[in-house]
Amino acid sequence: MQNPSGTLLSRFSMEVGVACFTGLLGAIVCYGSTEFGTGWGDAGPEPGYFPFYIGLFIMLASAGVLVQAFLTHRDRQEVFLTREQGHRILLFFLPMFAFVAASMVLGLYVSLALYLFGVMTIQGKYSAPKALSVCLGTIVVFYFVFEKWFQVPLLKGPLEAWLKIY
Amino acid sequence: MDNFGNLMAGFGIVFSAYHLALMAAGVLLGILVGVLPGLGAPNGVSLLIPLTFTMDPVSAIILLTSMYWGALFGGSTTSILFNIPGEPSSVATTFDGYPMAQQGHATHALTLAFVSAGIGALVGVAVITMLSGWVTQFALKFSSPEYFAVYLLTFCSFIGMGSASPFKAIVSMMLGFGFATVGMDGISGNTRLTFGFPELIKGISFLVAVIGLFGLGELIQTMEEGLRFEGIHARIRMRDVFRAIATLPSHIVTLVRSALIGCWMGITPGGPTAASFMSYGLAKRFSRRKDGFGKGEPAGVVAPETADHSAGTCAILPMLALGVPGSATAAVMMGGLMIWGLTPGPMLFIERPDFVWGTIASMYLGNVMAVVLVLATVPLFAAILRVPFSIIGPMIVVVCFIGAYQISGARLDLWLALVFGVFGYLLKKLDYPIAPMVLAMVLGDKTEDAFRQSMIFSKGSLSIFWTNSTLVAGIMVVAMVLLFWPLISKLIQRARGQAA
Repeated sequence: MQNPSGTLLSRFSMEVGVACFTGLLGAIVCYGSTEFGTGWGDAGPEPGYFPFYIGLFIMLASAGVLVQAFLTHRDRQEVFLTREQGHRILLFFLPMFAFVAASMVLGLYVSLALYLFGVMTIQGKYSAPKALSVCLGTIVVFYFVFEKWFQVPLLKGPLEAWLKIY
Repeated sequence: MDNFGNLMAGFGIVFSAYHLALMAAGVLLGILVGVLPGLGAPNGVSLLIPLTFTMDPVSAIILLTSMYWGALFGGSTTSILFNIPGEPSSVATTFDGYPMAQQGHATHALTLAFVSAGIGALVGVAVITMLSGWVTQFALKFSSPEYFAVYLLTFCSFIGMGSASPFKAIVSMMLGFGFATVGMDGISGNTRLTFGFPELIKGISFLVAVIGLFGLGELIQTMEEGLRFEGIHARIRMRDVFRAIATLPSHIVTLVRSALIGCWMGITPGGPTAASFMSYGLAKRFSRRKDGFGKGEPAGVVAPETADHSAGTCAILPMLALGVPGSATAAVMMGGLMIWGLTPGPMLFIERPDFVWGTIASMYLGNVMAVVLVLATVPLFAAILRVPFSIIGPMIVVVCFIGAYQISGARLDLWLALVFGVFGYLLKKLDYPIAPMVLAMVLGDKTEDAFRQSMIFSKGSLSIFWTNSTLVAGIMVVAMVLLFWPLISKLIQRARGQAA
């Protein structure tokens, strides 16, 4: 039983993990559907009838995936993610997560500028003026395309309120 | 020739400067979306839908379908020049397209791909034109049990005919149904599965799910693989283009076979990806130069491209006529139709013939325009891929999240898109099919309504799905055969083995 070097996650553990997660989602759907009755009322099937069976199917099929995982993936040393890949994903995911979190407070325009600027200067090794000009250009283009042309406003934050842009 | 007259009326609607400009814009945006990693056709169409809310439906569908054609062409471009399929359906094109480009025949490969794709698409639209009258008459006999049976047929075919594990297909599909039931229940008015979160009352938008699953999920996967573009410089010389077109008649058998496969897979929910692989396999099997395949055989470009595009266009027919989309992108478009206040299905042909025939007419024009535009702009789009990924990557991320926010202006949708992104990445890496989930999210409410209405008719007896009409029984039988197809085909093989 050798472990390929640099393996962060094995395929088998991910198969099991995801199957358990989807099974849990199924259980949540079943539980949620009991709120309005899962049986047969005066006007036919009650609102919880359909979702209840959906949840049940999710759980059953997840169990099927779980059994398959034990049958086919258990003894194979398949790699899901190597350390290097995990590192690359984190470098991509964490800034993206920060972008979404920041946009809750700062609005989309400010946080997208921070996000683009950060990724370009830190990961792309661009000079600050170059990155800044890309950020400003993007904001101006997005503002005119979305707010003026298509009239679908984006999420705004305190900076826009201060500048009196709504 | 009622269809022909209708089609001419459709052309009358489409031929305006505004619509032609929309078509060109849609095609160009589509090529961009098809070329960029992480932004495929379903995701691109999802991102555009919020911008069409204020448009008239005919203009909106022209924009969306044109984007779809553009995305299909863009996917082929990167397959050939970069060995990176922009779309899952253009994977088969890389097998011979990239070797051809490596050997210095990039223009030849691209021209063959685009023109045969254009021919495939036109065959697809012609099939739609001929069949739509007939499908409508057929579909007018439908009531709730028949509708439920057709939805069931669609879902069963995904489970039985798909290449993934049937359990995984069921998990993916049922999760889609589960997400679709969140929020206000259309029949009773109760709010289901919201667990006290007021933000969930409006439900989980399938558009947010598509942006996460297809867009962000794919981007995460691209990042994990470590992105490296080893592109081949392409300069399109008109002489080479005409020379390539001149060789097309020698591929006539491949063209016809591939177009037929594509039409069949597009109308039945096999989808463009399966069609292109199947067509490539058959082209190889019937070729006299089997050894050339994989090393730059022109027929290996013609076959998958023709099938991909004829399947892509044919997938529109069941969406318009029955309300059953044949591909993930068609599912997203159908969701768009419902948002614009149209009900896909047979009544659409009667109530809004201008919309239906305008769409079909625009498909002819859009595909011709796409071939011309894509040939003209290949160098430009190839240059975009040479922009460093540390600029392009975050830009795509930003566009995806802006698209998610615009759907209903809800902050929660940003988080949902992120969650769906991670989920989509995991599912894709573990070979769960994602199209059934999207399909179930779009069709979930309609399927449930059809089921509950049938149950109300029959006072709770499931036998209505067998006894209501011969039509419903027939569809149910086909659905069951498709569902258990893996088992049935094994039994047939065993029986053959014993007989031999």
